[in-house]
Amino acid sequence: MRFFDPHIHMISRTTDDYEAMARAGIRAVIEPAFWIGQPRTTVGAFVDYFSQILGWERFRASQFGIAHYCCIGLNSKEANNEGLAREVLEILPRFAFKEGVVAIGEIGYDEISAAEERAYVWQLEFARKHDMVVMVHSPHRDKKRGIQRSIAVAREVGQPMEKLVIDHNNEETVRDVLDAGAWAAFTIYPHTKMGSERMCEIVKRYGPRQIIVDSSADWGVSDPLGVPKTAKLMLERGVPAEHVEQTTWGNALAAYSQSGQIDVEALLTTPVIDQRALFSDNSVLRGQAPRVDAPVPN
Amino acid sequence: MSSLDVCLAALAPRLSAPQRAWFDVARAELAAGADDDRFCQLLSQASRYMPRGPLAPSASEQAAARKALEGWSSERWSTLECARVALVLSLPDLGAERGVRVLEEAFKYADIGEMCALYKSLAHLPAPERFVWRAGEGARSSMRAIFEAACCDTPFPVKRFDDVAWRQAIIKCLFIEAPMWRVWGLDTRLDAELARMALDLVEERRSAGRAIHPELWICLGRHAGARGLEQLERELREGSPRGRAGAGLALARARELDRLQSALAIESDPFVRQILTEALAGRAASTAWAALDPASSTLAQVR
Repeated sequence: MRFFDPHIHMISRTTDDYEAMARAGIRAVIEPAFWIGQPRTTVGAFVDYFSQILGWERFRASQFGIAHYCCIGLNSKEANNEGLAREVLEILPRFAFKEGVVAIGEIGYDEISAAEERAYVWQLEFARKHDMVVMVHSPHRDKKRGIQRSIAVAREVGQPMEKLVIDHNNEETVRDVLDAGAWAAFTIYPHTKMGSERMCEIVKRYGPRQIIVDSSADWGVSDPLGVPKTAKLMLERGVPAEHVEQTTWGNALAAYSQSGQIDVEALLTTPVIDQRALFSDNSVLRGQAPRVDAPVPN
Repeated sequence: MSSLDVCLAALAPRLSAPQRAWFDVARAELAAGADDDRFCQLLSQASRYMPRGPLAPSASEQAAARKALEGWSSERWSTLECARVALVLSLPDLGAERGVRVLEEAFKYADIGEMCALYKSLAHLPAPERFVWRAGEGARSSMRAIFEAACCDTPFPVKRFDDVAWRQAIIKCLFIEAPMWRVWGLDTRLDAELARMALDLVEERRSAGRAIHPELWICLGRHAGARGLEQLERELREGSPRGRAGAGLALARARELDRLQSALAIESDPFVRQILTEALAGRAASTAWAALDPASSTLAQVR
């Protein structure tokens, strides 16, 4: 099977992860801009970060035959540093229209503070004005209210619901998101967000429409194979294959290809290789033997 | 024709009416004095308005490029790159201080595609020596597309790089798998130091039990010396067909025609025989390595 992990922070992952992901059938990923585990102190750090997820990380992914897209945005946590936040929003348009930027994100709430709301609204207005998809990060604390508010504010700004993805949902929030007509993404993240087994139950209960599975794998204890592992379990638990396909490939593609930045036809022809950018004949994947217990190759 | 004229002439038949409209408005904005921020936006937005895919210039278009700037090959440009370079060259104050400032700003915020176009534009700018450090940044990139934009199919490195940067760029081709034979003017700037660096690398790779890149032998030129000849003989005995072909070409460049004759006499591989025969006839410029390049050769089946 082929998979799309539409939320994963690859800058924190190793080449072992890329290899495992490619082997597991992951063909495309989206790297949303977020914080990096600790707050940045200068706008230059954001410039370099945005450049990295647009540049070097995409190059790294291409070496493993994985198409890498990204979202540009000011995350909620760092929106609370208001002086810095203003500077970041000022340079954000420089990056938002680059090739392969499929959405503004991940934005939204963390503490649900006034400063977060200002940055969220500013970015929603930017997205609406430029007809862009928005990926919303939902808060850990006071999640249900946070999600309701994310949707209400987005609606108020005029963001079309089919161009709104609310991420990190759970059993308590999914109904609100589906009823609003937005995409409901679920993060398979050990111990905190959503497990594979619960995910199966959600797809069984709500069906595959508007539902997206991702891993959000990052620098924490997380699993870059969260999507294929969950797909496997769904199949074992009797979820119809086409529902598995929709929630682990088709829906993410439908949601984010609204950006016009995903060459769907190219993505359907394996492996995804960017001939124009000359990334194709990199040697990383060539003649790869199974790695386990093998000596380091020369 | 200037480089800008060449780009505009190439774009003319390739843009649809809406694409043409966007492009003309963009150039008009630049002519009217759009600020740095706006220029960066236009460079970026070009990806959303300009056609995809390779430029695939005709023979006469390629000839026009060569005539506009010796050493410029547009053969592997994309149409988007052509449009972006045309936007760069449409900036009104390129020769002034503002030219440096706006392009440095563009480099700072560039994604990979923009960066490739920016590097490809450098040789076409007025007073290109102002961008030597910047071109060196391109040569330091680990992304092959960017390295090639800075170093291949352009006269910039041979004309502007200092000796350290030049030799580093040439040797780096081997590490990043960029086609060294596409570094324009390579044969005009070979020296004993480059040959020494190449031969040190040969020994390093032999110690590690690794094959030698066929293009490495380009670096020897007439500076092979006894050490180089010994390694070439070894390559002719032990190397792959491409390795043997490369070593044979290097013997011709070292004017060791007797050794080349002997190598040809015992060579059985028809592809290698063909290369060695042509080398004997004097076809051994760095561009002769094109035939050994799997990416460009019609002899791709030869390993």
